[in-house]
Amino acid sequence: MSDIFEPDDWPPDDRDDLLAAEYVLGVLSGDERRSAQTRSETDGAFAERVAHWERRLALLNAAYEEGPVDPGTLEKVEAALFGEPAATPEPALATRRQGAGWRLWFAGALSAAVVVLAVLFWPQPTAAPLVARLDAGELAFDASYQAGVLQVAHRGPEAEEGRDYELWSIGADGVPRSLGILRGEAIEIPAELDAGVTLAVSLEPLGGSPDAGPTGPVLMTAELTLGD
Amino acid sequence: MSDDPIGVLLQAVAAQNRQAFHDLYARTAPKLSGVLYRILGNRTEVDDAMQEVFIRVWQRSAQFRPDRGMGMSWLIAVARNHALDRLRARPARAGMYQETARDEDGQDPLDRIADRKAGVLESLVARGEAQRVVACFDAMDAERAAAVKGAYMDGLSYKELAERHGIPLNTMRTWLRRGLLSLRECMDQ
Repeated sequence: MSDIFEPDDWPPDDRDDLLAAEYVLGVLSGDERRSAQTRSETDGAFAERVAHWERRLALLNAAYEEGPVDPGTLEKVEAALFGEPAATPEPALATRRQGAGWRLWFAGALSAAVVVLAVLFWPQPTAAPLVARLDAGELAFDASYQAGVLQVAHRGPEAEEGRDYELWSIGADGVPRSLGILRGEAIEIPAELDAGVTLAVSLEPLGGSPDAGPTGPVLMTAELTLGD
Repeated sequence: MSDDPIGVLLQAVAAQNRQAFHDLYARTAPKLSGVLYRILGNRTEVDDAMQEVFIRVWQRSAQFRPDRGMGMSWLIAVARNHALDRLRARPARAGMYQETARDEDGQDPLDRIADRKAGVLESLVARGEAQRVVACFDAMDAERAAAVKGAYMDGLSYKELAERHGIPLNTMRTWLRRGLLSLRECMDQ
């Protein structure tokens, strides 16, 4: 700590570059941060300095771990951006939620008898659900897939501390694809699935597998088949 | 040919390709969620922040410049900036930042870079660059290197760093700036 300088002692060129570094690093307080941000948007030379520091420090990004994602996020983003429910691949989820809103509106506006009629004649998805029962004794997941949404009911203990259950689909190519983390008793996952696809649950580090495929033990597998 | 699939997707998003946006989301959401959680430290705020980050990604994707870096680095910069804006906008409550998920195991962030699972060192060039960055941090005063890494990873402010080291804020700033200059000198060689 012997090298103490007054802040104004820095050569002007360094002062700008250090400000860019501090902005990228994130150490600036609110006011200073906002003014550096404005400058990075209006001053090309300063923006270059910011971009250069981002490159210098980008390697630290590798140290960020992956985290769980709320399954409704993309739908909300698209609604905000495009003012409409998400198109593929989550059409069914969006339609279903809209349907729920409609029914509520009906309930308020019309008599109970009409509501009954409305529900009776509501267009229902025609395909029968595909189901899979993933059962390992005291731990089981019941999966039901219909109209683009996989619903998973969880019975038994949550994963141990620091771990998560992760659900995978394995199609004809044999490559496992993550469908998401399984936490809680009922999980809804938008997905594109067909009969014959194998579902698998593995035990992974908190937040899910750090790799493209499962890294932990596969606890159970089951094929999606036509339910009754 | 590009060896940056995320960068390619970002360019397609800049051309208003919504399928590319879906693909980009599927491939990067977990990592960006991890970045936001590390800095913000609570799940509820992360869910909100994730939406805002992806809205920005759609709106600003044309600003991504493939000649200036990898697509993932650009996305993480967007996420970090958003998280830092939120953090600095929080009312100044002492110790509030400490609810964040710090490196529980006290592991040095650079140690993970050697970890294959980190998945960033896909090319030899990247590996060579990584070695140089690691060497430059090693060449720094250890305490200063730790402060730079901590600030970057966790979003610590000068104020928090000064409190943590028990020194005045201006002293902290001067001290860290010396470290940044030596880092720049070493990396730009």
